[in-house]
Amino acid sequence: MKRLLLAARFIFLAAVLVIGAAACGGKDEKKAAPIVIGVPTALGSIEGADSLRAVQLAVEEINAKGGVSVKGEKRPLAVVSIDTREHEPGIPVTDALAAVDKLIAEKKPNAILVGAFRSEVLLSSMDLVAKHKIPYITTIAMTPDFQKKVKEDYNKYKYMFRMCLNAPYLVNYLSRTMGFVGKEFNFKKAYIIVQDVLWAKGTGSGLEKWLKDNGWEVVGFDAYPTGASDFSSSLGKAKAGGAQVIVPIFDMPQSGILLKQARAMKVPALMAGFISPAAPGSAWKTFEGEVEGLVNLLFEIGPMPVKAVPRSVQFHESYTKKYGQEMGAKLSGHGPGPSYDAVYVLAGAIEKAGTLEADALAAAIKATDMEGVIGRIKFSDDHQVVYDVNPKEAAIGAVFQWKAPGVRVPVFPETAAEGKIELPPYMKN
Amino acid sequence: MELVNVLVFGLVNSAVLALTAMGFSLTFGLSGVANFAHGGLYLLAGYTSWILANRLNLPFAVSAVLAVILAALLGALIYRLVLMPVRGIVLSEVIATFAVGVAILELFRWMGFVTYEFNLRPFVKGSVEIAGVAVDYQRILIIGIGLVLAAGLWYFTRRTRIGLALRGMAQDEYTALSVGIESDWAAALSLALGAGLAAVAALSILPLGIISINIGYDVLLIALAVTVLGGLESTTGLVAGAFILGYAMTFTSTYLGPQWMEAVYMAAIVLVLAVKPSGLFGKSKELEERV
Amino acid sequence: MVKRGYRKERLDRGIKARSDDIFAIASWRETLYLILPRAAVIVSLLAFPLLKDVLGHYWQNVMLITCTIALLALSWDLLASVGLVSLGQALFFGVGAYLAGFLSRTFGWTPLLTIPASTVAGALLCTAILFPVLRLRGIYFGLITFALPLLMMRMIEATKILGGTEGLSGLPPLPDITFELYLVITAALVCAFGFKRLMDTDYGLVLRAIRDNDRSVLASGINIQWYKAQAVFIAALPGTFAGAFLTHHYQFVGMPAFALDFSILPLTSVVIGGAGTFAGAVLGAFILVPLSEVLRAFGTLRVVIYCSFLIIFTIGLPEGIFRFIERKYHQFERVVPLEEVRA
Repeated sequence: MKRLLLAARFIFLAAVLVIGAAACGGKDEKKAAPIVIGVPTALGSIEGADSLRAVQLAVEEINAKGGVSVKGEKRPLAVVSIDTREHEPGIPVTDALAAVDKLIAEKKPNAILVGAFRSEVLLSSMDLVAKHKIPYITTIAMTPDFQKKVKEDYNKYKYMFRMCLNAPYLVNYLSRTMGFVGKEFNFKKAYIIVQDVLWAKGTGSGLEKWLKDNGWEVVGFDAYPTGASDFSSSLGKAKAGGAQVIVPIFDMPQSGILLKQARAMKVPALMAGFISPAAPGSAWKTFEGEVEGLVNLLFEIGPMPVKAVPRSVQFHESYTKKYGQEMGAKLSGHGPGPSYDAVYVLAGAIEKAGTLEADALAAAIKATDMEGVIGRIKFSDDHQVVYDVNPKEAAIGAVFQWKAPGVRVPVFPETAAEGKIELPPYMKN
Repeated sequence: MELVNVLVFGLVNSAVLALTAMGFSLTFGLSGVANFAHGGLYLLAGYTSWILANRLNLPFAVSAVLAVILAALLGALIYRLVLMPVRGIVLSEVIATFAVGVAILELFRWMGFVTYEFNLRPFVKGSVEIAGVAVDYQRILIIGIGLVLAAGLWYFTRRTRIGLALRGMAQDEYTALSVGIESDWAAALSLALGAGLAAVAALSILPLGIISINIGYDVLLIALAVTVLGGLESTTGLVAGAFILGYAMTFTSTYLGPQWMEAVYMAAIVLVLAVKPSGLFGKSKELEERV
Repeated sequence: MVKRGYRKERLDRGIKARSDDIFAIASWRETLYLILPRAAVIVSLLAFPLLKDVLGHYWQNVMLITCTIALLALSWDLLASVGLVSLGQALFFGVGAYLAGFLSRTFGWTPLLTIPASTVAGALLCTAILFPVLRLRGIYFGLITFALPLLMMRMIEATKILGGTEGLSGLPPLPDITFELYLVITAALVCAFGFKRLMDTDYGLVLRAIRDNDRSVLASGINIQWYKAQAVFIAALPGTFAGAFLTHHYQFVGMPAFALDFSILPLTSVVIGGAGTFAGAVLGAFILVPLSEVLRAFGTLRVVIYCSFLIIFTIGLPEGIFRFIERKYHQFERVVPLEEVRA
């Protein structure tokens, strides 16, 4: 009996190990002298996983056309990725950095795309990247401090670029939306609920300032720790305080429940902000229609096809073709668009520079001017892609509203709009 | 208005806490095992029910019953395979169960159970107004389930033969052995019961939110906080602890800001242990816990 | 029915005089027998930083982290020798890390000043924090140490002090990696051998007695609270040092300094290596951390794997690897038939 038990114990543990080992199989095929693109990010997160898939899609497209020519020689692209786990609360930044370090040391990437998920990790990995001199295009982390750092020590950090939306641009989009809502429905009271992380808090306080400057009353401003899933105290206060608009700013999966709780508590306010789980096309089904009326921001277009930008429609189609209908519908609202474009920016820069040498490559990336999935891509002096409202002149994000029977209708900016913000059914009567 | 809100949601919150901690407290009270796998078992039940209902398309009720049974079996199995060899060495018990719990949680994380699609359906949808505050039926149901379980537990441990046998075991193992109560059997049963209760709690509470890995860690801390606060073996202490903590959390969350909410129960653990380790309502076992 | 069979017999290797602190050496062979294992470890550790070009930057970094975890494990082991079982080594780590960050941000001190300062001040602070709960025993002390680092994390998040959720970045670095490696390896060696020595002195005897039977020590008129406080201070030193050191290595400190990882990894190291030997704690860290790096490709599955280790060792080999090896080194084993024993 005892022996049997002992055996059972070891079989159980052996099984765990074997399952793990099996999963470890399958490595990337190596072709002749590929250009290696490193993707160190939080692969367990929705944004991270989607971004990696977008990068792989772009790489496949480029390789299908023969690759990238460096001094006349056609070289294929290869992707190596590593999971930094940084989206999980409690993972030390040091651990995420160790993962990046490992990727750089073992795979020797020629460039890094997507990069840090958390702003804290982005900032602390800048020194690491500067030390190794690797062109780095980040597409998820949003802190404006990134640009500040680039500006402060340009020579050191000139290898780093950002293609996704940053927090100030987000505030800009949100405040314009609020301006529209205020005018259209005569709303004057807002309640801000944010996730307690760098970019969301920054966005929240930026918006709070704008609201106060423009004659709004901010009924309340609450920050929830990452992972929290009971928002009833804020919703209760919002209802009691008569808030007409609730601005949620979250990128954690738990935040989707905010909508359901608001409906259960019958809070009579328009939801307008960013809730990452409510951004993908599948959200209507996931939340059983309770997203109706939500005005949500899509940080960068691409995950949602916008007719005004043909490339975004094309991207959405090929992504769905490669990964299936379900994956296409789940595409997250932040990351995939710029990640896909980043591969093309890099490829373009390599061809223009004719070398993989970091300084020349960085200069070529800086000079990028192309039409991408997210609109027109041009970098500012502090290495941030410029976002504005006209896709012919700059990259754009899009504000959309969920409307029955489950469609995302772009409502802002005007150049991309296909509808107008309406009050949700629960506010009409 | 705001105060009514706080009072109503404080009540709901207290019921949630009591339900969360019930399994942990029962196991500890009956066999002295601090089951640190509590959070793991809690989430395991949630995910199992989700998988059965959404992947195998079983009715929710069936999936719920299966999840509870599975959790209870696993609880007993944890005792048989992991705890029995280290029985009596408190530290090893804690380390081993904690490792089991973390292993369960991280295994789910590794299998990709991290997105927002994992949410359980409430038993009943809709909400009702109580004194101008809209409360969904699920929350009211949680209060009901909490009351029924607390009463049931009280009856079970005080009035039934098995319950009394288990309590005898907890109070004095040798004497209990001498009157013919089988120690290992009793402890395995107490773990199974605790795990089953964790599963019931998961199935009633998780529909309020979303199933995510980190909840597993929080659940363990909440269970610790409530149990430590209320004293380790009494059902009354558990309910009282849950009420104090529930209202404290709702008050701080409303008047100080939600970021303080988690600091509250952590501080409760630290303060109570420092000042009165047997808990506010626990019977004194001073010499065993401190010199 | 008479059971027939064999059993293993263990015999100590013949060495003339072997006591805890006096070696009466009889021959060179015996000297080597005693010194070689220790010397081998010290020499190979000290030689490691010289292999910079062979191993590359990445493995040096791994070595660095291994040593910091080893320091935390040593700190755990010392606490456990007084009967204080900690489930939250992250407390020491985090306090050291934040103090270093605070000192260098506020006063602009160099790392060479902040590291010693925050090591000592941090240990004092930790002792002060833990002082009220030193009366607690067994699992109660474990629970409170489990909750404390998490509470610290929440307090920093809620009060937004010390950089709040953003942490403090851009702190000054240490000169170079070779220097860092020597610093941390020396620290680990000093602690490992020093702690062992400490526990063999009369002072250590009192500490061990407190673990084994605190009430009888109390009855001998010794103030055990005071001794426990001293032990916490000494044990906190390597922990706070590790925190301060890694802060400057990564030039960053944030809330994750109090993360569960810094509590679980040292604990697992000690369980694998064997508690109470100090060398076991170091050995455990040197097995666990590199292994965990190798397993990085598995993602979070590696957490599952080291949890499995934790379970296997707690149940199957509670003495740990080090004692196992030590026994093999110091003893012969031979198989003897049972009859012979009976006769």
